[in-house]
Amino acid sequence: MSIWPEERVAAADSDLDTVDMTVNVGPQHPATHGVFRMVLTVDGELVVGCEPYIGYLHRGLEKLSENADYRQAMGWWDRTDYLAGMCCEGAYTMAVERLAGIEVPERADYIRVIMMELSRINSHFMFLGAFGADVGSFGTSFVYAWRERERIYDLFEEVAGDRMFPTYFRIGGVTMDLPDNFESRCRWVLGSIKQGLEDMDGLLTGNEVFVERCRGLTPVTPEQAIAWGFTGPMLRATGVPWDIRKAEPYSVYPQIDFEIPVGVQGDVFDRFHVRLAECYQSVRIIEQCLEQMPEGRVLAPKLPKTLRINDGELYMPTEGTKGEYGVYLMAQGGTNPYRAKLRSPSFCNLSALTELVVGSYVADAIIILGSLDIVLGEVDK
Amino acid sequence: MSSEPVIGEPEIAALVRERLPDIPFEASETKTYADLRVAPEHFLALVTGLRDDAELSFDLLRNIVALDMEEAGLEAKYQLYSFPHGHALQITVPAPIPSCELPSLTGLYPAANWHEREAAEMVGLVFTGHPDPRNLLLEEDLRIHPLRKAHPLQKAEILQGIEDGPPGVEV
Amino acid sequence: MSEFPFADPFFGLSWLDAIIRIVIVVLVMTLVVVYLTYGERKVVARFQMRLGPTRTGPIGLLQGFADAIKLLIKEDVRPRNADRWVFEFAPYLTFIPVFLVLVALPFAQDWGVRNLALGMFFVFAVLGLNIVGVLMAGLGSGNKYALLGGVRAAAQMISYEIPLVVALLAVAMVAGTLDLNAIVGMQDSRPFILIQPLAFVIFFTAMLSELHRAPFDIPVAESEIVGGYFVEYSGIRWSMFQLAEYASLWAFSIFGSAIFLGGWAFPFGEDWGWGWQLVLTLIKSLIMIMLIFWVRATLPRLRMDQLMSFCWKALIEVSFALLLVNGLFLYYDWPEPILAAVNWVGAILFLGGIYLRAARKPSTKNLVGSYKHAEVPNP
Repeated sequence: MSIWPEERVAAADSDLDTVDMTVNVGPQHPATHGVFRMVLTVDGELVVGCEPYIGYLHRGLEKLSENADYRQAMGWWDRTDYLAGMCCEGAYTMAVERLAGIEVPERADYIRVIMMELSRINSHFMFLGAFGADVGSFGTSFVYAWRERERIYDLFEEVAGDRMFPTYFRIGGVTMDLPDNFESRCRWVLGSIKQGLEDMDGLLTGNEVFVERCRGLTPVTPEQAIAWGFTGPMLRATGVPWDIRKAEPYSVYPQIDFEIPVGVQGDVFDRFHVRLAECYQSVRIIEQCLEQMPEGRVLAPKLPKTLRINDGELYMPTEGTKGEYGVYLMAQGGTNPYRAKLRSPSFCNLSALTELVVGSYVADAIIILGSLDIVLGEVDK
Repeated sequence: MSSEPVIGEPEIAALVRERLPDIPFEASETKTYADLRVAPEHFLALVTGLRDDAELSFDLLRNIVALDMEEAGLEAKYQLYSFPHGHALQITVPAPIPSCELPSLTGLYPAANWHEREAAEMVGLVFTGHPDPRNLLLEEDLRIHPLRKAHPLQKAEILQGIEDGPPGVEV
Repeated sequence: MSEFPFADPFFGLSWLDAIIRIVIVVLVMTLVVVYLTYGERKVVARFQMRLGPTRTGPIGLLQGFADAIKLLIKEDVRPRNADRWVFEFAPYLTFIPVFLVLVALPFAQDWGVRNLALGMFFVFAVLGLNIVGVLMAGLGSGNKYALLGGVRAAAQMISYEIPLVVALLAVAMVAGTLDLNAIVGMQDSRPFILIQPLAFVIFFTAMLSELHRAPFDIPVAESEIVGGYFVEYSGIRWSMFQLAEYASLWAFSIFGSAIFLGGWAFPFGEDWGWGWQLVLTLIKSLIMIMLIFWVRATLPRLRMDQLMSFCWKALIEVSFALLLVNGLFLYYDWPEPILAAVNWVGAILFLGGIYLRAARKPSTKNLVGSYKHAEVPNP
């Protein structure tokens, strides 16, 4: 099953009587980006077995959503992909709106797209910084990333009143209109983001050691990626230009001109580079949104006081930051969903970890895990 | 604008019926995709056909939703997507009562592995032929199924070691 | 030359004199280590657009002491499955060789603990012992990360000692002596880095590896093996490792600046007195340390096999070639400027090769694809 050559996976025969050693990585380990645990079986430096364990952050999102009002549940969906809260609440609210047949004012749609793309940049910056730290750059990339993240968070705070979990979207629009100076502030942050991307590019992409570590490491073919259920940057790194914003567009994305960055061979370097290139596209999207955004309401009129949805079900895919962030909702009357299910991209991308890691070196295993860009809130639901 | 259904393809059910005439299923519409309801005994044949037929070629298993339909027993819903043709659908399979057994799709879609493990522990479906049927998100020795409708929202954590009964039965 | 007050033994007794000198060196060393940790934090913080420590004392100057006190009063934990004696002695065995190195280092013309005729040889020999403590810590901790780190460290240090020693031997051949003071004294008009730049490049690379500094910090890789061989240590024993790390950083810098940058001699020779000589040694070693910090703040980490192949497939070959070329020049007594020119060409080729490899940066332009349904490329 492993994508590494057979002679790497099968432990080398030796005259010496050696035993494989198990190394427990996580749940508290600097490289697991949260409470993820994997048990590596190592033969010297070579990984010959990997057993991932998840669920340390399982909060029963789906059960809670079934037992709460459609509106109450929003706060929990924020906390799935906690690096990009706006993307998650966007997915959830859009799913509920489509299920209930609620029309959203156009201005609210534009505001949502701006917020979701800022969240995407935020999450990708987290990846770029943390990945640099995984490869061993002693936090420099981390702090570079943090500068831009802080500015985006400041913007979120100004708009929504909260940084990580804004709960800014409402079913039918957004809570409140943007503050007066938003456009100039946002353009300033976008300029800063572009500078930060250039810095990150110069710090890591052009670095011989970094390229040497990442180039050609676990190249994944498109067929393998699709079979394992990879979506998002993981899939695009293999060269498949598939993005739900284009393939099954939602919100105002059809009216916006942007491109899909793709990789060449699906290796760790491509995964890194695709995310870097995606940030530029997100900046483009936000700039267009700022220009096209009409005036008007931000919350649909005549929303019911209590949202009751008659029978119906849907699976609503959106392009989350890690891949396809899909929300399945089933309504059977009443104020609560009968069943809510999250299809989290990190969960699917992580499920192929064993295949990617077995056959690599210990140091590579860490950066392969880093290149998957998992968020444990989303994996564990 | 945002509620405009851009994905729904009612003709996909007709296409499936044309390409796979031997397999009986009921087609209906969800808010986004067509839904094919198929009996468990035809389920594997349908999915194999959907994956291998050149006109259909559903090559991505997006998601598996496991549901507890109370009196109607357990159900599983599979969302599929086709990269070559860009269409998507959903398959609904009711699990037989009381065995709750469904064939595992891990042989067709490697991506099904963790989805099925999650579905198995959350509502108690049994996927026959699954290579690694352990708990994924819950503790390994926990045999409760929290997403069953009968399972209480609170007080669940003291139930370790107790197995949930068949669907619809109070714990 | 001004009168050097300590040229004669203190009190006329050679053993008492040695003890006094080594006490002075050890005290100064401890102070230097405290400020090196502070300096590293400040320097790296500036690289990372931060301020570094600012709270303890004016501009955080007392931070090192605060850390030291915290470490001294911290509980010293020994894991239950650790091998007691191996575990407890390992910090001292990493720490003692570094201090022994200080015996031979020339801080000023006569201002060393002992001026050994085989000073360079002594430094090699003593630094080689460092591995023992590291390996003991790795094996004795009863921790798998520590074991991996210890074994990595042993492989890495043994491998990189070869190019390190060979590069320094090339310089010793040109100098014609192993006496560190004599080597420094020869450089009053031109430091050896001008004549042996390739040796300096090899020495600096191998030194980074011996010190477990980025990009060769594989044995202590925090994101992989969480600190490596000292992961189980705490309190005073952990601070011993830190002390050894920074002390060897300083010792290596003084050693390198003595051999390549002209130590106390360049550019003033013996004329300006021991005060200036001490200052020159300090400045030059700080330049080396700054370089190391700079590299650490910038470069990611190599992988173990890349590290080893870089050593065995590049550094060792180049260093032996350097030894051969130096031997030819000395045997046939060709003039020194030509030797320097050949070395510069070698150094430029070596660094240029690394730079050209790094220049294979892929462009962002060709990454952008346009969306189509069926566009699944064949592998």
